[in-house]
Amino acid sequence: MLSMRQLSKIYRTHMIETHALRGFDIEVKEGEFVAVTGPSGSGKTTFLNIAGLLEEFSEGDYLLDGVSVRGLNDDQRSRLRNEKLGFIFQGFNLIPDLNLFDNVDVPLRYRGYPAAERRRRIEDALGKVGLGSRQRHYPAELSGGQQQRVAIARALAGSPRLLLADEPTGNLDSQMARGVMELLEQINAEGTTIIMVTHDPELAARAQRNVHIVDGSVSDLERGALGHALHISRVDDSPSVAG
Amino acid sequence: MFSYYFNLGLRSLRRNPVLTTLMVMTLAVGVAASMSTLTVLRAMSGDPIPHKSERLFVVQVDNYPADTEEGEDPADHLSWLDAKELLRAGDGLRRSAMYAVGGVTELQDGSNQLVSGMAVTRDFFAMFEVPFRFGGGWSAEADTRGADEVVLSDAFSRRLFGETDPTGKTLRVMGRDRTIVGVLDAWQPLPKYYWLVGGSNRFGETDDVFVPLQNALVNELDPNGNVNCSGEGPEPGFNGLLNSECVFMQYWVELKSAAERDAFRQRLGAYIETQKSLGRLPVGERSRLLNVQEWMRAQRVLGDDTILQTLLATGFLLVCIVNTIGLLMAKFSGHAGEIGVRRALGATRRQLFQQYLVQAGVIGLAGGVLGVALTFAGLALIARQSEEVAAVAHMDATMLLLTLCAAVGAALLAGLLPTWRACQTLPAIQLKTQ
Repeated sequence: MLSMRQLSKIYRTHMIETHALRGFDIEVKEGEFVAVTGPSGSGKTTFLNIAGLLEEFSEGDYLLDGVSVRGLNDDQRSRLRNEKLGFIFQGFNLIPDLNLFDNVDVPLRYRGYPAAERRRRIEDALGKVGLGSRQRHYPAELSGGQQQRVAIARALAGSPRLLLADEPTGNLDSQMARGVMELLEQINAEGTTIIMVTHDPELAARAQRNVHIVDGSVSDLERGALGHALHISRVDDSPSVAG
Repeated sequence: MFSYYFNLGLRSLRRNPVLTTLMVMTLAVGVAASMSTLTVLRAMSGDPIPHKSERLFVVQVDNYPADTEEGEDPADHLSWLDAKELLRAGDGLRRSAMYAVGGVTELQDGSNQLVSGMAVTRDFFAMFEVPFRFGGGWSAEADTRGADEVVLSDAFSRRLFGETDPTGKTLRVMGRDRTIVGVLDAWQPLPKYYWLVGGSNRFGETDDVFVPLQNALVNELDPNGNVNCSGEGPEPGFNGLLNSECVFMQYWVELKSAAERDAFRQRLGAYIETQKSLGRLPVGERSRLLNVQEWMRAQRVLGDDTILQTLLATGFLLVCIVNTIGLLMAKFSGHAGEIGVRRALGATRRQLFQQYLVQAGVIGLAGGVLGVALTFAGLALIARQSEEVAAVAHMDATMLLLTLCAAVGAALLAGLLPTWRACQTLPAIQLKTQ
């Protein structure tokens, strides 16, 4: 589904070069649920942005669902993003002027579906996250957990092959976070590949595979190994693993 | 997608209501200022008879004395001596010599009413395509004979006879009992191009009455306007005026086509040469043949103050557009997050550019609607300057549509830079800062 080989991302200013990613290798298979962890500044978000075609990379190769991303122009990247990817953000990023129906409608508009098809997908997606009866409500009228459910519905409406989630529970209390996580697990069980960046070791532990990023490079951890690392970090009271 | 973008634009009006109101007001005021002055400019500079103006000519036969300074324009009027000869030559498809007359109309109740009129030949009505509500112009025979006949303007007829048809009735006008042969339909060319000279009210109402030229001359109706005499003055009496070099007449000719202009000019040149050989028209070569538009320019129908007002108002609109650019920048900078989200969800830069440009257009449309209302108010203010301006300070459907288009166009122009800037937003950064 996603394959990055020797990927690097260098931010350049006239004074300094910053290597956000270097020699970055990762392979995510179809149907996997991968949690990405790492300390702040390790390159997690850069990885997610590149995976989501929101940023370009400096060197290396990136295949998304078998399509080489290198050299694609803005239109091609946008189309690929629209057709194959879904995004869930920590801050939900719903558009406040639009009601739930119209928020979920956004990616479908760019897909060019006819009105009837869009309506069917929107109703299905909102129904799946338990908000089918609140289509005409506005984001401000919902709780944080409900807003994140709308964001998930928006990501699902276009039937993406890969769901990218950036701290999807970061702004939620533990009960809401649990609900969102269960929803993601259900979506994954239905066949959608998920890559989730998280600081929360408990959430990471629920993923099938954990990828740990340190200094812009990746190290896969088995679930058990991460659990061990988490255990050590808690004993040492060090935030480095989750941080 | 346009309807989607338009709908989003309408919704966005509610976001940042203060900024939106400022932008709509700025555009509305700028557009109203420019459109109200432009309305006046257009009305004053418009072609009053567009399908024919290239074929209608005013003839200026210059009878100034030999010591006339170079560069001076020929006389606006011509003398009866020349008008008479031109009429006699019968050149062109239609022709009319004319002069302004005035006097009183004696009403049935014994009261008198001042009237303004024109002494014209019968070709006047067909040449200037004057519409009739009742009857028509007088006959060729009446024209030649100088019959006691009269054509009334629509407004004058309504004042005297209401809605009824007065043709066939007799009315005492300018000292003669005249048979009413026709009543004009509503006709008010703007400007009143057939008589721009002699201090006439160029944008005023149509003259009350039209009488046969020959009748006016026989009955010695004095010119109701400027009479300019160069050299020695006329002999006493009306006949003295007619036989003098005093100018008080206007001569119009309609040619079959604009291409006949040169041929007519040559014949006019030949006439001038003949007159020169008789000791007249020492600077006759300065004579001119001007079509309607040229004549309006020569008469400076469009005043410098009107042009200046329009330029200032257009400058003001530019200032408003620049202000709108700043306001749109501020408004769109608040949309950076949404732009980032839309990019992440698959919008191309081009789609976002279109969306935000339509959004700017919607603001312009709102500004245009308000601008139309303000333009009406502006025109009402302008109309208070003078009766002449009041006659042209009216908005028609074209100007109304143009006002809306100007507002949308101004908003789109103002929106280009802010929209382009907004679309350069890096989605990754915006999404992270949400």
